[in-house]
Amino acid sequence: MIYLVTGGSGSGKSAYAEQLMEQASGEKYYIATMRVRDEEGEQKVARHRKIRRDKGFVTIEQSVDVGRIEIPRGDRSSALLECMSNLVANEMFAEGQIREPGPVTEKVVADVLRLGRQVERLVIVTNNVFEDGISYDPGTMAYLRALGAVNCRIADLADQVTEVVVGIAVQIKEAVCPY
Amino acid sequence: MELYIGGYAQGKQEYVRSKKSGQDVEIVPDLHLWFRQLLVEEAEIKATEIKAAAAKAAEVKAEQVVLTYCEEHPDCVLICDEIGNGIVPMDQTERAYRERLGRLLIELAKRADRVERIICGIGQRLK
Repeated sequence: MIYLVTGGSGSGKSAYAEQLMEQASGEKYYIATMRVRDEEGEQKVARHRKIRRDKGFVTIEQSVDVGRIEIPRGDRSSALLECMSNLVANEMFAEGQIREPGPVTEKVVADVLRLGRQVERLVIVTNNVFEDGISYDPGTMAYLRALGAVNCRIADLADQVTEVVVGIAVQIKEAVCPY
Repeated sequence: MELYIGGYAQGKQEYVRSKKSGQDVEIVPDLHLWFRQLLVEEAEIKATEIKAAAAKAAEVKAEQVVLTYCEEHPDCVLICDEIGNGIVPMDQTERAYRERLGRLLIELAKRADRVERIICGIGQRLK
């Protein structure tokens, strides 16, 4: 099952995503996509790792290529990928270059699907950064198109799509309960 | 008239085109860009300082152009970017663009038979 969670900054989307993880059984993995650049970043990562360990998560740091993650087989595990806006940025702006949004979209979707096949439940947090009407520089606009396309593709494949607004989960696409 | 609103790159056009495929409807794919252009034209006319042109400016008010179009095309489908959920811009033109488009969309939504918001390529019916 794939769950896509979107929302604005501070909307409570992460907390909702963690709630979805609490319902899952088995080992819980947290896929952290933030790219660590300096000591400040390292400290932040160390702090977050500890918080998540207390919540029962095993943290996997993967700023690109989430399709390369190997989840140990056999357990009914689940994974929380946070967040798609970081991952797409890392895939797009690497080594001082800007990659084309089309291939970036295809790669990220393929990576996410490979990851999704390995777990019983994959919860993906993304970010609604599309509603400010600003015409940014061409690189940023291309990034927005890539992230928008990734969100559309994953939403199409997902079992549930949720937008979190002021901490309230609004179901955009509901998981069909088989019972 | 139907109104489809949503953020940049949310798959609005694909959504509407697949929904309306085979139907003979007039689609306005980027209402926000059209409206922005109308605001530019309106400002240009006002800037001429020619009395006849200034008097004419009232007739070409951007909102009225869009509303008239909708009256003349009662079966049209309007697609518009959501542009109002960000920091209010310092620049007066940018600020007026967001404010006036927002107000226009309220009016269009009142008149529309159907209003949907598209997010992640999925439509939420608001009206």
